[in-house]
Amino acid sequence: MSDALLKVEGLDVLFTSYGQTRQVLRDISFTVGAGERVALIGETGSGKSVTAKAILGTLPRNATVSAGRIEVEGRNVLELRRGERDALKGSAFSLIMQDPLSSFNPVFKIGTHLDDVLRFADSREGVKSSRADRRARIAAVLRRVQLADPDRVMNAYPSELSGGMRQRVLIGLALLHQPKLLIADEPGTALDVTTQDEILNLINTLVAEEGMALLMITHNLGVVRKVADRVVVMRHGDIVEAGPCEKILASPEHDYTIGLLDAVPPLYGPRVQTQQISAQAPIVSATGLGKEFGRHGKRFTAVKDVSITLREGEIFGLAGESGSGKTTVARMMMGLSRPTFGSVSVDGTPNPGRPLAQIVYQNPGTSLNPKRTVKQSLGLPLKYAGLTGAARDARMAELMELVRLPVSYLAKYPHELSGGQKQRVAIARALAADPKVLILDEPTAALDVSVQKTVIELLLQLREELGLTYFMISHDLSLMRNFCSRLAIMLRGEIVEEGATPEIFADPKHPYTRALIAAIPVVTDDEERHKPAVSPEERAAFLVKTTD
Amino acid sequence: MQQNPFLAILTRLLTFVLVMVVLSIMIFVLARVVPGDPARMALGPTATPEQVSALRTEMGLDDSLPVQYASYMARALQGDLGMSLLSQRPVTMDLGQTVPATVELVLVAVIIMFAVAIPLGVMTSHFRDRWVDHVGRLFSLVGVTIPSFLFAISLQLVAARYFGDWPIIGRMDHGLGFTGGPTGLMLVDSLLAGRMDVFASALQHLALPAVALSMAGIGQITRITRSAMLENRRKDHVLTLQSFGVPERVIIFRYLLKLSSIAPLTIMGLEFASLIGNAFVIEMVFSWGGFASYGLNAILQKDLNAVTAVVLVSGLFFIVANLIVDVLIAIIDPRMRRKEAR
Repeated sequence: MSDALLKVEGLDVLFTSYGQTRQVLRDISFTVGAGERVALIGETGSGKSVTAKAILGTLPRNATVSAGRIEVEGRNVLELRRGERDALKGSAFSLIMQDPLSSFNPVFKIGTHLDDVLRFADSREGVKSSRADRRARIAAVLRRVQLADPDRVMNAYPSELSGGMRQRVLIGLALLHQPKLLIADEPGTALDVTTQDEILNLINTLVAEEGMALLMITHNLGVVRKVADRVVVMRHGDIVEAGPCEKILASPEHDYTIGLLDAVPPLYGPRVQTQQISAQAPIVSATGLGKEFGRHGKRFTAVKDVSITLREGEIFGLAGESGSGKTTVARMMMGLSRPTFGSVSVDGTPNPGRPLAQIVYQNPGTSLNPKRTVKQSLGLPLKYAGLTGAARDARMAELMELVRLPVSYLAKYPHELSGGQKQRVAIARALAADPKVLILDEPTAALDVSVQKTVIELLLQLREELGLTYFMISHDLSLMRNFCSRLAIMLRGEIVEEGATPEIFADPKHPYTRALIAAIPVVTDDEERHKPAVSPEERAAFLVKTTD
Repeated sequence: MQQNPFLAILTRLLTFVLVMVVLSIMIFVLARVVPGDPARMALGPTATPEQVSALRTEMGLDDSLPVQYASYMARALQGDLGMSLLSQRPVTMDLGQTVPATVELVLVAVIIMFAVAIPLGVMTSHFRDRWVDHVGRLFSLVGVTIPSFLFAISLQLVAARYFGDWPIIGRMDHGLGFTGGPTGLMLVDSLLAGRMDVFASALQHLALPAVALSMAGIGQITRITRSAMLENRRKDHVLTLQSFGVPERVIIFRYLLKLSSIAPLTIMGLEFASLIGNAFVIEMVFSWGGFASYGLNAILQKDLNAVTAVVLVSGLFFIVANLIVDVLIAIIDPRMRRKEAR
């Protein structure tokens, strides 16, 4: 392809830290043609973000490009002087950043960011523009990304906009100078699934209307199906497979791609697993639970009239988007926080001298103390369980075996472990005091999809072996479809739908449930067809406003 | 959430009053429980016991502490802080003469602090781990660790040895025949009177003590600015601007500098206490005649009314300085503004 807009050829990138050199990209070659949509997909450490940074010229100081070419419209950008390279930014290619909150300086208005970007882009092209003229052009772009009141957005500080609105501004930022290539680094990943869906739709529309090319960097195979014509699969700095989107998703050739696709929890179809409903006695039940925060005059109702019965041996899923109150409910069920209204009754008998429930948090990177070894982290709950000396050591070895980690890992610090291993340690810590119920607060949200699969399998095995009951909080409905036996959907502090998981997915009653299921990015066309339909009115009524 | 700046300011002022009341009680009690009879010290060793006890009664020292405090506060609220035993004048009159001198010294020291420390912090962070950074960090370490009186004496020695004409004590050249003006701040009064010669002399006199006083703060603020700049530099929003080709100088001097000035400002509010403490020493070395040296003599002589007043004024300085810092931070950081109003 000689008319390729972007051509990366034989790219090698080295990182040097503490005197050690590591190769993070090996012989990366791919092209993006004019108007083409290409996705770079890979898990943590695959080098997909480094590739994007190399193209943009924002690699960190300790990185060196040791071989290869990056051609933009036929010119090798690696050989350009800094000024010439800067001149390409915003006009030849633009970046859509990943995290909409941290991408803006908190002490400057949104409009200041936009104006500076436009001002320097103009001056590079030798154009003199007035402030009023720039403001008009910015307003036009903001309208393009469906922000109806550009003046309000421009005068707002970043913290005053919602996540979805900030993401739209970031897209607008990338469009300011009509670039030919749009590079999107995991757009919407930090947002709720329904908002992410809208953002992806917007990017698709804009790319089609402007005839732009798109390089999408993502870890989500569902997103790939939605926005890419061609896919490049990366792993540990190598390209393992590349080809048309339908082909890669339908009949992948490389083992890694096959494994990756297999690890994605299916929403519909024959691969779906259904967990048995438990008919055993209730273990914890909540009636009319409500929680208000804040003092008089400024009260905020986080949870309203929630009743849940958790039966022994089941996996109960509480689904909802950020701010729906699902974590607050879990904290009240555990007795970590006092309900303002209603009550929680414990029907099961905890093991003697032990608490009934323990919790596994979302991010093992922050829930484990970085200054403590695995042994020290496990030792604390065991100490309060009254175990010392040889009995404690024996119990530790037992716990490590339960979570399938070698006993030698007891001496390691969290930073020496991978994300999945850390989460296993967190599970072992929760199991230390023999709980009967485990609260799982988005236990795999911080993990790669292939690691998620192994952690979920471990949790299912542990439930078999130890007869545990799980109470899971998550926003990931495709995971919950396969993992939970019963499901409740929360919206603004209330449960809007509850029932056996297969029934909810087969026939979702509440429009919000339908919108939530419909927004999940799926991997196959078959699943897409099974999704429930949502009318625009229903979307408007139940989804968070992201358009201003 | 509705913003209400008026309520926020009102809450602030209430805490302000509360702090002053607690401070006044503490210093009032403290000054009276330490050993030594103020009446005896005022009258000297030759006075008879009868004379001493008469003065004690006159000063109200025979009453109980709460009664003494109540009558002191009642008079203080009317602007009467009592007589100074030492100068035999009303304390308010002494303060009126000495406080402006200290205010002038501290203000100029703070200006020097920021004028030197912020650029130095930005430079050391920009040239991280290069020689500029090493020199800058050594300089700030010296500033933080060496006591200010040592700087003061060294500066005096250097000035006296190499710049023979440079004044090393006092606030101004008395030969100029300038008696002061409405504000008590020499720099301001001389300008108001249109006397450039006086202004130059006052500035010359101020230079050495103000530099000596600012050294510790320069060290501290340089370090804080440097680390804030380095931390913020790694943030995503810097990467955003870089990816759209906004020049490095704009990112550093516009975006990073404003964000990174919050931490040094906060530290400045806290540093103010040690600044006033250092002023006591510096004023002695340079015979400055400010309220710090006045306070030091008052403490040594157990001049109760003067000691109480000096401590209250120091407290007032500290609170006002922190109030200013809070307002500045609220101006810089919109998130803080909304938190305050909540």
